[in-house]
Amino acid sequence: MPIELTVNGRRHELDVPPFYPLAVVLREELGLNGTKVGCFEGRCGACTVVVDGRTVVSCIYPVGLADGAEVRTVEGLASLEGPLSPLQDAILDHGGVQCGACTPGVLMTLTALLEATPSPSEHEVREALEGNLCRCTGYQGIVDAVMAVTGGAR
Amino acid sequence: MANDAHVPELRYASTVDEAVGELARLGADGAPIAGGTWVMLAPLRRMPTHRSYVALTRVEELGRLVEGDPTSIGGAVTMAGLRGLSGPLAALGYAAAHSAPPAIANVATLAGNLRAAPYPGADLVAPLLALDAALELASPDGRSTLPLGDYLASRDARPAAELIVRAIVPAPAGRRSAYERLTVRESGEEPVASVAVSVDLAADGAVMAARVAFGSVEDVARRSAAAEAALVGGPLTAERAEAAGKAAQGELTGREGLDAPGWYRVAVLPALVRRAVARLDAPLEA
Repeated sequence: MPIELTVNGRRHELDVPPFYPLAVVLREELGLNGTKVGCFEGRCGACTVVVDGRTVVSCIYPVGLADGAEVRTVEGLASLEGPLSPLQDAILDHGGVQCGACTPGVLMTLTALLEATPSPSEHEVREALEGNLCRCTGYQGIVDAVMAVTGGAR
Repeated sequence: MANDAHVPELRYASTVDEAVGELARLGADGAPIAGGTWVMLAPLRRMPTHRSYVALTRVEELGRLVEGDPTSIGGAVTMAGLRGLSGPLAALGYAAAHSAPPAIANVATLAGNLRAAPYPGADLVAPLLALDAALELASPDGRSTLPLGDYLASRDARPAAELIVRAIVPAPAGRRSAYERLTVRESGEEPVASVAVSVDLAADGAVMAARVAFGSVEDVARRSAAAEAALVGGPLTAERAEAAGKAAQGELTGREGLDAPGWYRVAVLPALVRRAVARLDAPLEA
């Protein structure tokens, strides 16, 4: 039985094994390589995407459990021709990107956070990022970017 | 691909009866799945996977959380769904809020935490023991209720077609509870040791009843009668809390592990109980 996914607003019927990790389906079946796979054991958060409004680590999320769900990936944050999202711009401006391996997961975590909590405190931002490992930036640039976008108090 | 956990088949159930029926047909070849965090990592843990899994994500009953006395927590309620629990169930809310990063907590479930074995660091077990929880179980023979301690003692031999429908957790007004976990680093870690304390106090502040459970010290979390006895009959002070932790040291045998040696898991118990007791008066940190 095909698995139905709506990814970044586009509906797909996929004939894939249900225990394929969602990250692999996004990358290999749909060509959405923005989602990165780091540890493949749910610890680094590089593969974080949003499924029905909540973040999941897609490297250990079986695609079968996402059947019928709406999935959002980093490709959905801005169109190819259009400008970056305000959050993406801010992360660039504040030095929140260095090697970039963690960036798609960080962006999806923060996107979900800001949709649920439009004006988070710095503590809430850092808590949300608990599952996203970044070994380049020290997080400060990422946190600064969020606070700049939201105009939040430190 | 590093993870080879894509071979099994997946069936979907929409009711508890349907799920139990599927599991009964599958027998030893089948198991339930909800968040998938345990099942997907089974190959890395060198644990066998089942030929078929029954997805519980569409079973509405399993996702219900009804607060009250008792509070009813469906087996598929996620860690994220539990983190708001406070008051008498503060220990459970705190454990859920600190057990996993958000993207795991969004899918990892109560029943998964209770079923997973061997998993000494399962954070919800000690709080549920200290809160005197019972489990409603569904099997082809119908539904039954079992104290959590009895479930854990028989967990390795439970029938294949059995589901944890919900946890039933007493939450009388005035009960206080707290959870404390020790990790090597602050986040993303399973606890080296943990303690859950739940107390009922008299008007003068003396402890009338106490339930103290330790997690991650031994292979399976359990209550300590000696720690509980040491807390009852007097006020909640740091000295009496440390005495309770010392009493527990005589009952528990620390498991050896790469994260910590067995002796260390036992050595930290007095400090852990002291910290948990100190939090009994504090608001829930979420």
